[in-house]
Amino acid sequence: MRGVAIILILALLAAFCGGCWSRREITEIAIVLGMGLDLTPDGRVGLSLQIARPGAFYGGGDTAGGEGRVACWVVRGEGETLEEAAAYLAGKVPRELYWGHSVVLIFGEEMARRGVGAVADFFGRKREPRETMWVTVAEGRASDVLECHSVLEKTSAQAAAFLVTMGLGTAVRFREFVESLADEGVEPIATRVTVREVGVTPCPGEAGAVGPHRQAETSGTAVFRGDKLVGWLDQAETRGLLWLKGRAVGQVLTVRVPGKPEGWLSFRARRQRAEIVPRLEGGSVRFDVNLVAEFDMVEQGGIGDFAGPDQIRGSERLLAGAMEAEAGAVVERVRSAYGSDIFGFGDAFHRKYKREWHEMKGRWDEEFARAEVRINARAFVRETGLLTIRAETGRE
Amino acid sequence: MGRRLGRRTKGQEDDAVARGFADGPLSRDLDANLRELKAIFDRCSDVVFREFVFAQCNGTRLALVYTDGLADKAQVSDQIMRALALEVPVAAGGRRIGKGRALEFIKKRGLCMHQIAETDRLQEVVRAVLSGDTVLLVDGHATAIVNVARSPETRRVADSEVEPTVRGPREAFVETLRVNTSLIRRKIKSPSLKIETLRLGRVTGTEVAVVYIEGIANDKLVPEVKDRLGRIQVDGILETGYIEELIEDNPWTFFPTVNITEKPDRVAAMLLEGRAAVIVDGSPFVMTMPNLLVEYVHSTEDYYERFLFVSAVRVVRFLSLVASLTLPAAYIAAVSFHHELLPTTLLLSIAAQREAVPYPVLVEVLIMEVLFEILREAGLRLPRPLGQAISIVGALVIGEAAIRAGLVAASTVIVVAVTGIGSFVLGYRLSIAFRLLRFILTLLSAALGLFGLVAGMAVVIIHLCTLRSFGVPYLSPIVPTTVVDLKDVVFRAPWWAMFTRPRLIARRDRTRQAPDLEPGPPGARSRGRR
Repeated sequence: MRGVAIILILALLAAFCGGCWSRREITEIAIVLGMGLDLTPDGRVGLSLQIARPGAFYGGGDTAGGEGRVACWVVRGEGETLEEAAAYLAGKVPRELYWGHSVVLIFGEEMARRGVGAVADFFGRKREPRETMWVTVAEGRASDVLECHSVLEKTSAQAAAFLVTMGLGTAVRFREFVESLADEGVEPIATRVTVREVGVTPCPGEAGAVGPHRQAETSGTAVFRGDKLVGWLDQAETRGLLWLKGRAVGQVLTVRVPGKPEGWLSFRARRQRAEIVPRLEGGSVRFDVNLVAEFDMVEQGGIGDFAGPDQIRGSERLLAGAMEAEAGAVVERVRSAYGSDIFGFGDAFHRKYKREWHEMKGRWDEEFARAEVRINARAFVRETGLLTIRAETGRE
Repeated sequence: MGRRLGRRTKGQEDDAVARGFADGPLSRDLDANLRELKAIFDRCSDVVFREFVFAQCNGTRLALVYTDGLADKAQVSDQIMRALALEVPVAAGGRRIGKGRALEFIKKRGLCMHQIAETDRLQEVVRAVLSGDTVLLVDGHATAIVNVARSPETRRVADSEVEPTVRGPREAFVETLRVNTSLIRRKIKSPSLKIETLRLGRVTGTEVAVVYIEGIANDKLVPEVKDRLGRIQVDGILETGYIEELIEDNPWTFFPTVNITEKPDRVAAMLLEGRAAVIVDGSPFVMTMPNLLVEYVHSTEDYYERFLFVSAVRVVRFLSLVASLTLPAAYIAAVSFHHELLPTTLLLSIAAQREAVPYPVLVEVLIMEVLFEILREAGLRLPRPLGQAISIVGALVIGEAAIRAGLVAASTVIVVAVTGIGSFVLGYRLSIAFRLLRFILTLLSAALGLFGLVAGMAVVIIHLCTLRSFGVPYLSPIVPTTVVDLKDVVFRAPWWAMFTRPRLIARRDRTRQAPDLEPGPPGARSRGRR
């Protein structure tokens, strides 16, 4: 028994020989919340990091710690490569950079147009940055997004991440971005972020009220071809893209009712699915895209009573038509203007025609540009809310 | 195995030496006996010798020997002396009897005592006197009569202080063995409840009782318990702890493998599941065995309160079991190694609190843990009203001041406080084992992060898997898994579904109730489920 005890004690002592291996106290790290990548005028990589100032996040309240002070600090470094830029920052930031809590990766427009392959490689190799961070492309400079402020959130990086998470636009995680970068059958997309001057009404008489200031907001989709940015989609086009990706839950679609000049109906998608069926007919490629969506009616005007099965069926036809139009428009736009297959038509074709794909993938761009795309949408209206008739029509 | 209770062994001969006298038979001569006893009880001022003459038989001298304070003086004077010296002649109708029949007559007609015994051994006489019995020596007879007339002075049966409950019996054991056995007997009125006594401690001669229910307790358990008790050769037994350390399966462990309770209902429940209990005279705690880890998570109340609620509460207890062992270690690992584990907002909040703290997290946690241990120890040692004041001063004033002074972060105080309170949820004895292990895990975690914590936990779990209590695996019925017995681990089955006793504890006759007891409204009640 004594022998066992001695062995245990020795094992315990041996455990401590490592001497706090890779220990890093929380006060020794600089927590990076957001990362921005820009091209410097001389063509090098500019890395902007938004680093949290923990003092400002103190929840205690009674200690005046960071009240009213800026919650973050944006530092910029540059170098031939990203690692060089990060090493350069080590001389500016008195703590060790910690990337594990970075929520958003922002490419500057110029950087994105030049190509982001090397950047994706850097973040893919590094241990700390998460695969779950959101990938966005800033219209203009990425550092501008990191430097502006949010009224609601403490830092603009968090605000941008929440916008992507909660919003109805494109949302792409780093992992998905890299996957589509590597995949030959689909091109990457990212969220488009714009910095705008906004006027916020200051709360009257309140100290520290916010006046007009610059604020980041999501504004559509960035379209890539290979690892290069080729163009943008606006909010409406983004919705068309989302129908095709089967991710349009929460989107609001408004249709005009024929025959009633003032009549319109507004629907919110509650469930949505998309299926791309490729067909190879005599050497020419055709895609049948089947869209299925379920909607709730959320608002209407100029219709009066809206509850009957005929009306619901009619509105389903209208919705299907609207979806087809939106999706078709975005396919044509992206195909003709950007020549990029961001929808995954190539993947769908690859899955079904394995052998043919290997022959065609070299000239897929031309094949895709020529291919016929037929969109066929089906819509179902599930709920019409708590009212059956509008309040003011009930009086008549 | 197989050594019988009370068998004279070499060890018991040593007892006599330790007691300071040689055993031998009583003499027919009263004077010789008294001389011998007075020599034995030399300088024992509390032993009383009282000689008088038997009224019925002229010249037959009698002598009483008893210990002042242990024997019931009123009974000795009234029921023995008055009866023998004064009243007996009338009752016997004036006839005189011979000296030779005196002993027989006294036994049959002379004594108004409820319990008497006979002995012819000097050692037995000495032991009886010292136990509080009154010994009557009769001239001309080599046999003494032992009158059981012990003083009723004992602490009153009072509320349990160590294991308080909301619902259920409140009484707790006291220091007197016979009172304790009576408390158990009141709960289990069956002749199958066996209470075997033996004496342990070569100097103290402490009475120890082995209690079990014949037919329910495992056949091998009771002989094993008696065998382990029989091996004990020590000077004194003052508390159950002495015995516990001498009969454990594995003496080199942090974990208690014999359960201790002061509640008769708990002992009764244990006996009904097939366990054995050991009562030690002079201790208000009763040992039960075999002992499983889950017993420390269960409370007697679990079986009295509604089963759904109890099952939910047990989940909380298991959570606090894990928390009280690993929380500080996990906190250190997360804060100084694996920042990825925390949500961003929490990480920033902890970072903010720690900005002003000068020490690494380990030092901070150790400061708070040691402070907590000091407060706990102080609360225990001080008189009760002061103890409360200390805990208030400690918890509120020191904790708050330490945070304000920037000595520790608020989150550390929360972690240590939750850990401390969580450990109180468990049985006291398991929580003290966890206290020690927690420090080791904390150090491991501070050195190696989560890897250290997981490695430490692996060692603890492997150790627990090897532990046995009287041959029963300590982690059963979880490991090895006994599916039927999982009815009473986290989830507590309702009483109408508790068909069987624990399989590994009571091996024989496992059915404990009728199979179709599930109640319901009249008519809908199931008439014998087939």
